[in-house]
Amino acid sequence: MTFEEIYRTYWQKVHRLCMGYVNDSDWAKDIAQETFITVWQQLPKFRNESSMGTWVFRIASNHCLRQVEKQKRMPQSKLPADIAEVLQPDIDSKIEFLYKCISELPETDRIIISLELEDVKQTEIANIVGISEANVRVRIHRMKETLSHKFKNYEKHN
Amino acid sequence: MKNTIDLKELWKKQETAIPDTKELFAKIRAFKKNNLYQLIITNIALLLTSVFIGFVWYYFRPEMLTTKIGVVLAIIAMALYLFVYNRMLPLFVDVGYEMNSHQYLQQLLKLKEKQLFLQSTIQNIYFILLSTGLFLYMLEYALRMKLPWAILTYAITFLWIAIVWFYFIPRTIKKQQIKINKLINKVEALGRQLTTEE
Repeated sequence: MTFEEIYRTYWQKVHRLCMGYVNDSDWAKDIAQETFITVWQQLPKFRNESSMGTWVFRIASNHCLRQVEKQKRMPQSKLPADIAEVLQPDIDSKIEFLYKCISELPETDRIIISLELEDVKQTEIANIVGISEANVRVRIHRMKETLSHKFKNYEKHN
Repeated sequence: MKNTIDLKELWKKQETAIPDTKELFAKIRAFKKNNLYQLIITNIALLLTSVFIGFVWYYFRPEMLTTKIGVVLAIIAMALYLFVYNRMLPLFVDVGYEMNSHQYLQQLLKLKEKQLFLQSTIQNIYFILLSTGLFLYMLEYALRMKLPWAILTYAITFLWIAIVWFYFIPRTIKKQQIKINKLINKVEALGRQLTTEE
């Protein structure tokens, strides 16, 4: 796969993962870009030991975790050009609510649930995060319950 | 499992415009340029200092070995400092993105501990080298002065060195330690999220 192909295939997925992690579109875009910079730098060394997806998601997850160093991040001043990009008419409130709920989970859970919602196999999630598959399964089950519960409440009030 | 499907559907509805790869490559270029500038600045700083010290050596023609050793020590100190701060510390920061998160966090922790050690150690070595260099360098000229002047010159120099050594350096190191320790605690907390079995 060429870099361009990887970029086209994974941009949305990586961006969603980052959004689940920080719930801030500018910040998520920055992390996604940092991820692809690493992908670009490391691609010549990629040896197919894992699948491309696992590899890209590992890099993205670690870039997310790395944000621990930047938690005092100031909100970026938005230039007019950026605003046009941020205001997307089709982001409905349910999507916003989902991302908000996810971003409130413990950091590593955010990554796990994001990957699950992205249809990454649980074996691979275990491989990306570095915990047992059984542990992944239990966590996902529990988080889905929490999320469904929150959504039921949300729908009751809206 | 209706809820699950709903969540996945909702999740995937979040789409953004894919930024042009040009934007990404512009970032990569800016990043490389920045590194290059840093390298150039480091070299210019090193070069200028060395030229200056070389000039002093040439112009004043020191006769004693202590002066020469002093000069060499000072140059080594500066070279070491610049090398570590500009070339080595960044190397410490950007590694291991391809590991799994669990390994990555452990790695990050190790790196931060090393960074903490390196920063304080290098700062101490730098300062010891520089002070010793200065002490040796001044010896030849102090010997040519009258005794009270020589004593005064050394007294002022060492007062300054003492202030830096006992006040400024511990303060900087403490600040760095607090900052890195906070980060280490946070990284440890993240790691614990992964080690506790559910």
